[in-house]
Amino acid sequence: MNAPVIELSGLTKTFRARRARSSGTFARLKDFVAPITEHVLAVDRVSFEITAGERVAFIGPNGAGKSTTLKVLSGILHPDAGHVSVLGFVPWQQRQALGYRIGTVFGQRSQLWHHLPARDTFELLGSVYELPRAQHRERLQALTRAFDLGPLLDKPVSQLSLGERMRAEVAASLLHRPQILFLDEPSIGLDVAAKSVLRDLLQRQSEQEGTTLLLTSHDTGDIERVCQRAIVVHGGRVVWDGSLQQLRRNYLGEKRVRLWSEREHLRFALPGVRVLSESPHFTQLAVQVNVTAVGAVVEHALRQGALSDLTIEDAPLDEVIEAFYRDTRTRQAS
Amino acid sequence: MKTLAIARFCWALFRTNLRSVTALRGSFLLSMTFMALNNTTFFVFWWLLFGRIGSLRGWHVQDVELLFGISAAGFGLMQATLGGAMHLARFVDDGSLEPMMVQPKPTLLYALGCRSQASGFGDMASGFVFMILSGYVSWSDAPRALLCVLVSCVAFTAVCVALGSLAFWIKKSETLSRQLLDIVITFSLYPEPLFDGGLKLLLFTLVPAGFVSYLPAEVVRGAGPVALCLMLGGCALLCAASLRVFRAGLRRYAGGSRFGVFG
Amino acid sequence: MKPFRKYWAFARVACGEARSHRGELYARGLFFALILAVFAALWRAVGEAGLPLAARPERLVWYLAVTEWVLLSAPLRHLEIQEDVRRGDVACQLCRPVAYPRALLAQCLGMLVVRASFLGVVAFSAAALYTRELPAWSALVLVVPFGLLAALVLAELYLILGLVAFWLRDATPLYWVCGKLTFILGGLMLPLELYPRWLQVLAACTPFPSLLAGPAGFLLHGATHVGALALHLVFWALALFGILEFVFWRATRVLQLSGG
Repeated sequence: MNAPVIELSGLTKTFRARRARSSGTFARLKDFVAPITEHVLAVDRVSFEITAGERVAFIGPNGAGKSTTLKVLSGILHPDAGHVSVLGFVPWQQRQALGYRIGTVFGQRSQLWHHLPARDTFELLGSVYELPRAQHRERLQALTRAFDLGPLLDKPVSQLSLGERMRAEVAASLLHRPQILFLDEPSIGLDVAAKSVLRDLLQRQSEQEGTTLLLTSHDTGDIERVCQRAIVVHGGRVVWDGSLQQLRRNYLGEKRVRLWSEREHLRFALPGVRVLSESPHFTQLAVQVNVTAVGAVVEHALRQGALSDLTIEDAPLDEVIEAFYRDTRTRQAS
Repeated sequence: MKTLAIARFCWALFRTNLRSVTALRGSFLLSMTFMALNNTTFFVFWWLLFGRIGSLRGWHVQDVELLFGISAAGFGLMQATLGGAMHLARFVDDGSLEPMMVQPKPTLLYALGCRSQASGFGDMASGFVFMILSGYVSWSDAPRALLCVLVSCVAFTAVCVALGSLAFWIKKSETLSRQLLDIVITFSLYPEPLFDGGLKLLLFTLVPAGFVSYLPAEVVRGAGPVALCLMLGGCALLCAASLRVFRAGLRRYAGGSRFGVFG
Repeated sequence: MKPFRKYWAFARVACGEARSHRGELYARGLFFALILAVFAALWRAVGEAGLPLAARPERLVWYLAVTEWVLLSAPLRHLEIQEDVRRGDVACQLCRPVAYPRALLAQCLGMLVVRASFLGVVAFSAAALYTRELPAWSALVLVVPFGLLAALVLAELYLILGLVAFWLRDATPLYWVCGKLTFILGGLMLPLELYPRWLQVLAACTPFPSLLAGPAGFLLHGATHVGALALHLVFWALALFGILEFVFWRATRVLQLSGG
């Protein structure tokens, strides 16, 4: 077991927000003169540990406190309470020292200079991280190869496509070989192909160099393809922490079974089996495995005629998470 | 070692900045020329006025030219090298400050040095022209004049940092801090003898136009070492104060959210 | 009636918007009061020297109070529009059942009302405090409606400048020039009578004198030019509105052809 590189316990952060009084001219006048502010709890006693080399997804709906936690971990925000240690540093107290050892990618914010070729930014970052010239050149070459940046390096960033820019962006944050890479919505706005490329790169990078990844995303594809572990937050709290497989198993004991049959239509009157879609010679089923085993379903189908093909898959993570939120909400309500 | 690394970083930042601002050459030249023109137009007011009245409480048009020249050159130098100063409030507001915070170099230095304004070069050029026009600057006292421009630049930057830091406390305060800066700029362009009593006190405290232009102008006109010390000390004090404000703000930073790009 | 209600809604929203930027408005007021203080000092010094100017120093302070009131009250939205154009947000406006330029104008009107009332109070009290005298009420009564109309015309002018961003990559230098023309040719600080003859003639060919020196002129030489000023302002208001509509129409053509 590796030692943890990120430890946090009881992390709490509140924000102040302005609230409008109810409508009416007098209320508006009061808002103008003396607005009301109230405290909003963004992160509520969050605790977890991450060990070196892990790839962790930080999942949750908008406003769940994902980005806030990430910003505390990278030293941008001061928390109100709690203990945080990243690579042995207290981030908000030793922000600059920590800066040498972590990298960040904010999907909605660019660290590349807009009007200049990416090469210029890489050069600037070289002196930001104080890389010796030879080492800088060598690292840039390696990243250029790995991220296929060759033709992009000398084009002004403003002329790159979003996918190309994001690749350069991630490469830029890896220039100084950070031990931990924080990614906030890295694939936002990317098309399917670009997303796929980015995910492969992240995974390979982490495996080859042992970089710890902590990423937030709305895109379950990012999470499934890159991460091994998921931390789900909701309303500022960690509501689940464990491996992705476990998340799937616990929260939706459901498999997707697709059948291509000789017969035009198949009938399934089994408990725990729902027909999701149907067309001539094709049926897609959702099977609750704790009610009816997948084997029994297949057997049932074979009894009605031969099958030309079949696939069995886990339910997509999107649905897992949706089911999860539903579950949390009903529990909170009761 | 650390100082050397910072110096190297500053140089790299400045170089990148210069490349970025000159990347669009046409726009750069246009902005520069028009800013110089703009300043000259502003001065038409003084030429018109002094054309009628000759002198004002002992000040002649040359004195106003010198004052204006120092102010413009100092402000221009800031815009050209530390152009982020004018945008600090926006950086705080839209979260552009965050990528700078996670990098291991002083955040303020990064924020100031990450922009260069083409118009600043125009300000600088016209500022120097006005200084020469005033007849107070000869070759022999060029170094002294340059020092004064440098002090004016640093004082302007300190003012911008303090005003821009308001954004840590007040949301969407970019226009606000711009307007407050306008007040300082405005005062820095009018002859000092116009003001007396409370107003004069204000000009060396809350609206520190005194350090931005009056004292540097006095020094260029040949004031003694007392004025020189006052100028340097005041500027240092101003810097210390604004740095404090920025640090306090950074501690209570609550995160900005909006899309943003560099350069 | 219906279309008017639409634009009325735009004006109201802008009213609320202007109110919600309290800090900005207060800063504007502060700036205004300080500028008047500077000029009160300047004109006093000029007066002390016993030097020949067209009017008494107190009158010149009031003159500036009015010109600055018009200038600071006018919502100059060119930068926002330029930003909208650059990001392509203007394209979203095209598919709404609203004439974009008119909606903008309605918004300007809403903001203008809020700003002008606040800054009007500031101008009046600051000028009264510094000069310790009040101008004739008959002049003040004229200043208010003409000043408001002038500010609206000024806002129109800057709306046009904002839309120019469709053709220019960065129109900032244009704004500076326009700003300085307003400043010099409008007679912001000095009444135009103090200008050399050729500059006066040049100014008369532009809308600027009627925007600033016009309304403020009531305080210097009474109601002698009411008719002429009304004619000028209405003419420029209509002309600039026509240009605004035309520029927007051309701009949409550009947008449709190049796809934004």
